[in-house]
Amino acid sequence: MMAWAAMVLTFLALAVGGYAVAVADRLIAGACGWPHQGNAWLAPLARGAWLYRQDANVTEAPDRPAWRLAPALYLALAALGLALVPWSPTLVVADLATGVVLWGSLEALATVAIFLHGWSANAPLALIGGYRYVALGLSYILVSMFVLIGVVLPAESLKFSQVVAAQEELWNVVRQPLGLPLFLIVGLGLTFWGPLNLADSTDLAGGTASEVSGPPRLVWEIARVAMLVAFSGIAATAFLGGWLGPWLPGPLWLALKMLAVLLALAWLGRVLPRLAPERCVTLMWVVLLPLSFVDLIWAGLEAL
Amino acid sequence: MAVSWLGRLAARAPVPVYPLLGIGGERALYPLALAGRVTRVDSPRHASVLLVAGHVPVHHHEALKRVHDQLPRPFATLWFRSQPLPGLENARRVDDPATLTDELVALHRELQTGQRGSSPRLLPDEPPNPWEGLGDDGHGGEGMMGGTPYGRPMAMNMQDDIRDGLTLDSLTFRLGPFYPLLPPGLAAEITLQGDVIQSWTNQSPAYPRALDAVFQTARERPVAIAELELARARHHLRHLYRALRLAGLEGLGLKALRLARELTPASHLDGLRRQLTRAGFFRLAALDGGALDAETARRLGGPAARAAGIDTDRRSDDAHYRRLGFRPALGRGGDTRARWHQKLAEIEQSLALAGRAVDEGDLTTVGPGGLETPCGPWRERPAQDAGGCLEALLPGMEWDSALATIASLDLAEGSASPPPGEAHAEEPQ
Repeated sequence: MMAWAAMVLTFLALAVGGYAVAVADRLIAGACGWPHQGNAWLAPLARGAWLYRQDANVTEAPDRPAWRLAPALYLALAALGLALVPWSPTLVVADLATGVVLWGSLEALATVAIFLHGWSANAPLALIGGYRYVALGLSYILVSMFVLIGVVLPAESLKFSQVVAAQEELWNVVRQPLGLPLFLIVGLGLTFWGPLNLADSTDLAGGTASEVSGPPRLVWEIARVAMLVAFSGIAATAFLGGWLGPWLPGPLWLALKMLAVLLALAWLGRVLPRLAPERCVTLMWVVLLPLSFVDLIWAGLEAL
Repeated sequence: MAVSWLGRLAARAPVPVYPLLGIGGERALYPLALAGRVTRVDSPRHASVLLVAGHVPVHHHEALKRVHDQLPRPFATLWFRSQPLPGLENARRVDDPATLTDELVALHRELQTGQRGSSPRLLPDEPPNPWEGLGDDGHGGEGMMGGTPYGRPMAMNMQDDIRDGLTLDSLTFRLGPFYPLLPPGLAAEITLQGDVIQSWTNQSPAYPRALDAVFQTARERPVAIAELELARARHHLRHLYRALRLAGLEGLGLKALRLARELTPASHLDGLRRQLTRAGFFRLAALDGGALDAETARRLGGPAARAAGIDTDRRSDDAHYRRLGFRPALGRGGDTRARWHQKLAEIEQSLALAGRAVDEGDLTTVGPGGLETPCGPWRERPAQDAGGCLEALLPGMEWDSALATIASLDLAEGSASPPPGEAHAEEPQ
């Protein structure tokens, strides 16, 4: 029964969270100087309706099954990621003993889905977008996993529910101050959002999505915000104490923390320029990866 | 019922517009960027309405048709000061920039509510070249790369990498003349390895872009220095908008456009400059590289030359400019970053000159003679292909750095003559 409730909650979070990202992104854009684009609450729905009604185009000799599968695969990965997030000690779809490892594998599989999306269109700009993500994906995954190992140490478990339980006294955001900032930066890369949106970027006219229209594009856009929601769920669980908090029910606390992470990511996405890929590689390998080692050593010493 | 409900909802979406810019088409771009209810998109696949703005030369009609046919149904076209192609007689044409947004919104609404059918296809739905590959998927030749499917070579390793020795498959394709991140008219054949440019061959030069009317007038009689300098600052701010949008800082780009729209001698750049620095435009964006050698910088002239430290500015020859204390602002390095520092410095300089000219009783230029336009010295004939320098400049650069370099150069602005049949291309706002 609890598993079913958790599943409903997960799908609800994907839908509501995705919609919240779309609305928040428009509101932030308005605050950052974009012209008024109509009702921010209605615009995502109207855009969804427009994409749904638009024809799905084809390019010249695409790998059609892969092209259509990639958005669905990416959406499925996002849903699986959110399924690992515990809403309370008992309300969780899959409280796996290897939950953190599974999240790492989802990050790796996301690379496959994104490259597939760019490659299968059989178009140059989409392909370059795919290349870019593959070139950068490994560095995102490495930093992400080192940082997550840091939160696993005090919990002495790879279960996300145990990671939350270990934060009863002190949240990891305080215990390991490098962790959340590193994880958020890497999250922008994993979800190719804002300054780290190098796969679907403006200079590639939309990158892996440059040749996609209609319902497949709608699915791709939903999958992208869903992945952002899943990432925010993992971030809130790993660093912000998950369901922990006074007065309010646990799931509500988690939802509020996820919303805070989503707003931070959406805001960063609007105020920072897109990083050059070469600079991004340098940032990941020369700055963030050593910092993630420091974070890990910090976590280890703290766990002793 | 469900479809009509969805259609009514879709009709309320911000209108995705793909602007296809011909000669003089940029005048549609800036008001559109600042208009609500419309979203500019960079791929025809993402658009509901194709906006053809400005005159498209006959030799680019085939390219226009190819872009037109890439829009997914249902879509419509709007022709701004441009003649619809044969076969699109039902397309709508507008000449008044003030009605542009309303027309785009109306077209989108009519499409979504079924009051207007989709624009017809202009080309047969078949590959532009015959199948010449080997094997079902072009994989039948040696090394699994067979033939030239549909006239294009397969991505394969034909040449050594020119940058770091990491050789990847070479991918050759053509881009332009209506790729929105290149100057309108510019088309090139490009070979990449990964996203590093191996070769860049121009196939068609950028369209000449006419300057503000005041630069034309200044060739014939003295004009107010304040007016001339504000037009110069406005030109640079619009240029900055295009670069910021490319860099992912469209919000700041729109602020630059608003500043350009409301420019007066009392305007200041301080706020925008501070925001650019804080946002990390100079540190984080792809502004590395793109350094011009002295000869190329001198040939391009204008801010590109001065950013390379070359002291060239015809305003120095004008006695009234000298009276205002004018001395050319000079930069160092001549790369993409230096050009943007230079442009910002020149905007500030123009605003200061405009202010001082007003204080001096609306001082005018001395008279007809050598004129410094925002993109260099006035040329009687447009430079045939200012973009020729790209062929030597871009190989070895990553894709986004290359586009940022192109965006920092005034490749389209070798001419100050108006587009065909038009008095002035840019209108002061």
